[in-house]
Amino acid sequence: MNLSTNLAGIPLKNPTILASGVMGVSTSSMKFVQENRAGAVTCKSIGHEERKGHHNPTVYSWGQGITNAVGLSNVGVDDGTVLLKEMIDALEIPVISSCFADTVDNLARVAEKLMASKPVAIELNLSCPNTENDFGLMFALDPEATTRAVSQVKKIAGNTKVFVKLTPDASNIVDVGKAAEAAGADALTATNTLSGMIIDIHTKRPILTNKFGGLSGPAIKPVSVRAVWNLYNAVKIPIIGTGGINTGEDAIEYIMAGATAVGIGSGVYYRGIDVFKKITDEMSAFMEKEGYKSIEEMRGIAHKS
Amino acid sequence: MTGTKHMKHDKPLALPIKKIITESERVKTFVFDYDFPGEPGQFVMCWIPGFDEKPFGIIKKDGFGFMISVAAVGESTKALHMMEVGDMLGFRGPYGSTFNLPDFGSIALVAGGYGMVPLSFLAQEARKKDIDVHLFIGARTKEELLFKSWMEEIGVIIHPSTDDGSEGFKGFNVQVFEDFVTKHPPSFGHPHVERALRLPEGGPIKDLPFEGSTPQGGGMLSKAYTVGPEIMEMKVAEICYANNIPFEVSLERYMKCGFGICGQCCVDPVGWRMCVEGPVIDGEKLKQISEFGKYHRTASGKVEKYPWNKDK
Repeated sequence: MNLSTNLAGIPLKNPTILASGVMGVSTSSMKFVQENRAGAVTCKSIGHEERKGHHNPTVYSWGQGITNAVGLSNVGVDDGTVLLKEMIDALEIPVISSCFADTVDNLARVAEKLMASKPVAIELNLSCPNTENDFGLMFALDPEATTRAVSQVKKIAGNTKVFVKLTPDASNIVDVGKAAEAAGADALTATNTLSGMIIDIHTKRPILTNKFGGLSGPAIKPVSVRAVWNLYNAVKIPIIGTGGINTGEDAIEYIMAGATAVGIGSGVYYRGIDVFKKITDEMSAFMEKEGYKSIEEMRGIAHKS
Repeated sequence: MTGTKHMKHDKPLALPIKKIITESERVKTFVFDYDFPGEPGQFVMCWIPGFDEKPFGIIKKDGFGFMISVAAVGESTKALHMMEVGDMLGFRGPYGSTFNLPDFGSIALVAGGYGMVPLSFLAQEARKKDIDVHLFIGARTKEELLFKSWMEEIGVIIHPSTDDGSEGFKGFNVQVFEDFVTKHPPSFGHPHVERALRLPEGGPIKDLPFEGSTPQGGGMLSKAYTVGPEIMEMKVAEICYANNIPFEVSLERYMKCGFGICGQCCVDPVGWRMCVEGPVIDGEKLKQISEFGKYHRTASGKVEKYPWNKDK
């Protein structure tokens, strides 16, 4: 079955993309993901300076999903640019470069440095829910802040596509998505994790060191599908549907809501590192059974019925 | 091996400390009244509320149950040492790969420092299968030879070494192990070896046997296991390769999630996750891990060379 798709001019052999923050620490870990048939990979967000992130506990599963507050650990943009170049050279599939910063100016600086590695696309992580104490509120809560961030980066991006990762915490994610598109974004990633909190009643305290964390996994899938559906009606740029995708059926649900590609993160925990193989096999089986010939044929189809 | 009555816990399970045993000046054992699942080589992520969450090797000592043994070396482990009976810790796991024992014969365990933690549990399970266990344990001084009396009780043959010579060989356990290995080269005339060679494919014949020694006179080492500082593990690996001894090593890397998604503990160049494909790695597979004995990654993901690594 032909699962190829075109994401903002970037050809993908299949629509599964490793989501940022998962496995994307080193070239070796990325190659391990490629071997397991991901269509593309996103590196762990790179910021201005080296960060160790929050103290553990930073990631665990609470039963209906995963919660995390890793705190944007990364090697910093100088080493990050070298690492990114190494990943791009070593991998056959597209490497999307995720980045973050505390201010719009710093974000443009980080993005500009990353350009030296000539990434095919850069994903602006405007929506990490776990660094409010360090960096203040997420840009992606606010259409205006999003406009400023995207337009600054677009000025220096050249041929590199600019993706914007949105948060389901925004009071109106569609307004933020439209603002990103108007500022020149080439694609939207919907969505990042959903902010939450889990308290252990025996020790009488939140388990994550950061107290709050981003929820991912099956529990948030309907939230992100809803976001993709609404964005699909409001913007023309492609959408990477992300949140709780564990099976081929989950991926197809997002595509029918309007997604061009799908982000896989927690699925690596739920189904193993070969989740990409499993999802693409299941997509093929479904398409064969239902008589679909291409991803394109299914895209947004739920809006028509 | 040990039965698994409970499911894996991926959310920290809060357990009160049932008993605290002071093993030495630096090491305490914490015992819990809960049959936590897990096999030798696997680890738990232990949440020390208010401080940290760290991986510790699982021990399930017969008559005691699930326990962890921890040296007070950093802020969080020092905080753990201040805790009292009834205080709560959270546990996730068990995570990671397990040691694999042969069906019979003799094995060598080479334990440096707190490598004795996972290897003690392995020694217990090996003795239950009537496998002879030679333990090459090294410590700074006599008092720090962890679990010595427990190992004696279950019939482990101990070859101790200490830095100060207060017990056993004065020097490194690796030297004792190497002496032992080189003085007892492979011998195919031994009855155990002959029996192994007669077994159909898939049996212990894969584990090239060689002759070891026991107090009873003669025996067969089927495999070696090593856990400890990486420089020691590296030396043990060299000895095992040179003498055709199958072995397994437990490789420690910085961990965040413990269940295979954060990518923090992936090793070069294969990308295997030490919390899923590891921490126990077979000697043959170890050949593919080029960073072994050379460097590791810190919490930020930055590569940090080991002090003895003079490359580049």
